Amino acid sequence: MINDKNSQKIVDFISNWARKHSIWVLGYGTGCGAIEIPPTMTSRYDAERLGIRGAATPRQADVLLITGYLTTKTLKRVIRVYEQMQDPKYVVGFGSCTINGGMYYDSYNTINVLDKYLPVDVYINGCMPRPEAVLSGFGKLQQLIGEGKANGATKYKENLEWYRANQKKVIPNWVMPEYNW
Amino acid sequence: MNELWFDIMGAIVTVIVAFVVGITYMGLSRKITARVQNRKGPPFYQNFIDALKLASKTSAIHHGFMQHVGPAFMMITSIMSVLIIPVLRGNAWFVNLNFHGDLIFILYIMVFGPLGMALGAGQTGNPNSAIGVTRGLSQMVGFEIPWVMALVALMMQYHTTSIVDLMNVQIQSGMWLMFSSPFAFIAAVMAMLGMFRYSPFDIVGAPQELASGPMSENGGKYLFTLMSSGSIFAFAKLTLYVDLFMGGAGNLVELVIKTFALYLIPMLYGVTSPRYRTEQSIRWFWGWPTFFGFLAIIYAVVF
Amino acid sequence: MNYIILVVFLGGALLTFFAGKINNVLQDILFLASILVPASLFFAYVHAGNIFNLTLGGIHLSLGINAMSWLFALIVLGLGSMAAFYSVSFMKGKERRGYFYFNFILTIMAMTGILMSRDLVSFFIFWEIMTWSSYLMTVYNGKDVQTVGIKYFVFSAIGAYAMLMAIVVIHSINGSFMIEDLVRSFPEMPVNMQILIPVLLLTGFGVKAAIMPLHVWAPGAYSNAPMAYTSIFSGALSKMGIYGMVIVMVSLLSYVPEGYWFREVIAWMGGITAVIGTLWAIKQDDAKKLLAYSSIAQLGYIIVGIGIGTPLAMMAGLFLAVVHALFKGTLFLAVGAIERQTGTSNFREVTGLIRKMPWTFVASLISIISLAGIPPMGGFVGKWMLYESLLTSNHYLLVIVIFFSSTAAFLYCYKFLFGFFLGQEEKEWANVKEAPVLMVVPMLILSFFSFLLGTYPGIILKPIDAGMQYLGYGITQNHLWQTSVIFNTWGNQVVLQPLLYSIIAIFLFFLIFLTIKSFKQTRYVTTKDISSSGEVPKEHENLTFSVDFMQPFMRAVEPVMRRQIDKYYTGLANGLEALFDFMRKIYTGNGQTYAIYVIVFVVILLLFKDILF
Repeated sequence: MINDKNSQKIVDFISNWARKHSIWVLGYGTGCGAIEIPPTMTSRYDAERLGIRGAATPRQADVLLITGYLTTKTLKRVIRVYEQMQDPKYVVGFGSCTINGGMYYDSYNTINVLDKYLPVDVYINGCMPRPEAVLSGFGKLQQLIGEGKANGATKYKENLEWYRANQKKVIPNWVMPEYNW
Repeated sequence: MNELWFDIMGAIVTVIVAFVVGITYMGLSRKITARVQNRKGPPFYQNFIDALKLASKTSAIHHGFMQHVGPAFMMITSIMSVLIIPVLRGNAWFVNLNFHGDLIFILYIMVFGPLGMALGAGQTGNPNSAIGVTRGLSQMVGFEIPWVMALVALMMQYHTTSIVDLMNVQIQSGMWLMFSSPFAFIAAVMAMLGMFRYSPFDIVGAPQELASGPMSENGGKYLFTLMSSGSIFAFAKLTLYVDLFMGGAGNLVELVIKTFALYLIPMLYGVTSPRYRTEQSIRWFWGWPTFFGFLAIIYAVVF
Repeated sequence: MNYIILVVFLGGALLTFFAGKINNVLQDILFLASILVPASLFFAYVHAGNIFNLTLGGIHLSLGINAMSWLFALIVLGLGSMAAFYSVSFMKGKERRGYFYFNFILTIMAMTGILMSRDLVSFFIFWEIMTWSSYLMTVYNGKDVQTVGIKYFVFSAIGAYAMLMAIVVIHSINGSFMIEDLVRSFPEMPVNMQILIPVLLLTGFGVKAAIMPLHVWAPGAYSNAPMAYTSIFSGALSKMGIYGMVIVMVSLLSYVPEGYWFREVIAWMGGITAVIGTLWAIKQDDAKKLLAYSSIAQLGYIIVGIGIGTPLAMMAGLFLAVVHALFKGTLFLAVGAIERQTGTSNFREVTGLIRKMPWTFVASLISIISLAGIPPMGGFVGKWMLYESLLTSNHYLLVIVIFFSSTAAFLYCYKFLFGFFLGQEEKEWANVKEAPVLMVVPMLILSFFSFLLGTYPGIILKPIDAGMQYLGYGITQNHLWQTSVIFNTWGNQVVLQPLLYSIIAIFLFFLIFLTIKSFKQTRYVTTKDISSSGEVPKEHENLTFSVDFMQPFMRAVEPVMRRQIDKYYTGLANGLEALFDFMRKIYTGNGQTYAIYVIVFVVILLLFKDILF
């Protein structure tokens, strides 16, 4: 019955709806953008009313929030965290630094384009993006999830070799377990 | 044979009602917490969505067989306790497998779930899980003392170890036990603060320092099982309190009103409190709550 | 038949001892034979009322069995034969096998002899054989003979002298050594004798049952003996103390008015023993010590049940005695298996054995669940009856003490399982193999029985009921094969079975249909693959949490733990030593000093002769 096309559609619709309205964010505060998370979560902007809530560990999280620049050292940990998250999972690039390097564009130890290393589903630009912008970014993510278009994780799995090559290019001593789910 | 099928249907209905009510209470607690903090808060059905999402997530990995068995133990415990505790008085749809001596049985079965979960958490190998478990078990020893004292006082006073008998006592005398044995009620409610693990006693999860403790390696379906069994368990505990101290309930609306009134106590106490350390929490339970437990026993012996 | 069994035991012990000089396999076979043959002879031919009399040098010895001692013989010989099978594999490649086997058989023989004794002299003789053989096993390793061995020896000696004194007093009053005569004449004895004799006898039995002020020998002795032996040491040998206590509490004390106070005091001592044992068990880092303290605590429950002495309480105590033999026997055997496979029994060193030793884990899990008193297992039935009996006999504070102890027991239960089996799987223990079949099977059989007793408590309630009727209790419950209905003093009917059935059904449903199904869908990853802030733990990094495991709880109960009974005994010993030191200063060994003593004595005599004479 599950294999039947229409019922699969219904199941997809329901689960996408649930995923859309329940987003557990792993706030891995990688850069200075992390300072914008507390106002987004607390009384003034209250992201919880949209079902957005912090998760404690990667196993429980749906969204990996990259807040700002990523040093190459941090990148390794972020990749590890991303690979530990369970499907379906999404990445939100937060701030200009994740798009093109922002003010650190010529720094020797940060990466410029996050999309080369991890599949980003939604970018939120600005330096800093205000909480309104963050919420609007999450709104976009919710829309994508609802339409079933937020498929960064599938992209990552399909193009794993390309991503790995990019990652290994910037991370000198690559001692990591294999990507295994 | 027909009766058996009817019983099984009844059991399923009981569990579903327990799940729905329990998970709604959890959602409502989030809403109320938000309102206290001057936020809008998530919709009251937010926890349904969360549960649905967790069920729809993949869980591709495990750290060993116990990681599967642990949440299953927790689920079994919750279902068993909700089946044994009488949900409604004399309603055929809500099965209760209650029997004489079930109060002692409940005491033991209620600690089995956390122990099963602890085994599951131990298998994952995450140090945070084990730390959370030791905290949880220590705290359990803390709040079990006033809780048992309250129950012993009731059992002594009314010469029974059966929940149904205690409910009948309240019907016959026309007075709830929370008024006729007030100290036992106070001790039991203080113990309830620890049972529900709201704020001053949320030392097990402690997301700031332990990364949600025993749950830290459990995502997806594991977390779904733990979450749904937790909500069934919460409902079972609240129903037990209503049965023991508030005369039980004749219909579902009455039950929901009474359980929610009880549920507000740990929740509101939690919203306005910071967190204790483990030994502070244990000593708190061995302080005033135990004193009230003693008073309850003396009251039960004297009167 | 009675004496033939004992002779077979003794002959088997000697043969086994000397067979080691010829061939090891022959020795193993002889050892098994000399346990199993008398055991099967016992169950086949020995019945209540089968009495053998012997007159030795004017003393009349009498051997026979009754319904009560048959129950304890079931524990001794059942657990003994399981432990014997285990020992054969356990002792493979170890030195001093003859010594071990000889003492093992001798202990079983002595315990059987105690249970058969109908007079106090043979009781005392077998009691001493049991003490001596267990003492020799305690020092088997040659470790800590100074501390552990001496402590066990001293306490056993105190118990033995107390018992001997009681026997002498009884003989001087009664003129007979027969237990029956004692029981008959006890109510007519003077009041001071009615107090003195039980106190002396209870001291003797209390040492073996490790009751509170006399328990200090137990942790060391239990953990120092080889584990194959400790399982009968804790499971069966301590039950001899319980057996003696049952005789004293029921046959003697229930017919005299002072009995009430004895019952209360013994019950409270049992309760305090349970709490102290539990608290100290939580603190231990060595599995052997943990289980030893846990044994003390569990014996405390049994003593509470026997102390209260109502029919339900007695039944609870005896049921717990049987179940304790099953689960504690299994747990000691499991520790033995782990120690054999890894070389250590310390929680700080061994972790993550669950995938290497799955069957040991299953046996331990079932036994631990039974120990903790969680429903489908045998331990729960016993605890349930104990609570019912305590509540109905108005011991409301004792209920709380017992409940505290049994809740706190979860802490060490979890510590045992987590310390050995769960947690990180370290590289150091990657090559550990499951224990040999002959070691695993006895553990599984014993743990299966503790499961069975939770489901069909009627199996063992029947012999318990027979034993209690022998002691003079009325018919207390109506036990069928499947159901057990118990009436408590309030008149409530406690039904033990139907519910457990439905629970087990739900249990199996969930375990089989959901867990295994989802288990197959997922894939195993190592325990290094955990969420640790994005770090990848290295192979050699030890992430196990095992040091100061229950620290928060220990901090909370710290004021209680500061007072150790051991310290008081040490203080007493130091005081005595100082006294003797002082006395030794008088006897210097110097002739001149003695001359001065004599002169001083004479001078004093002369000075005070008016007053003195």
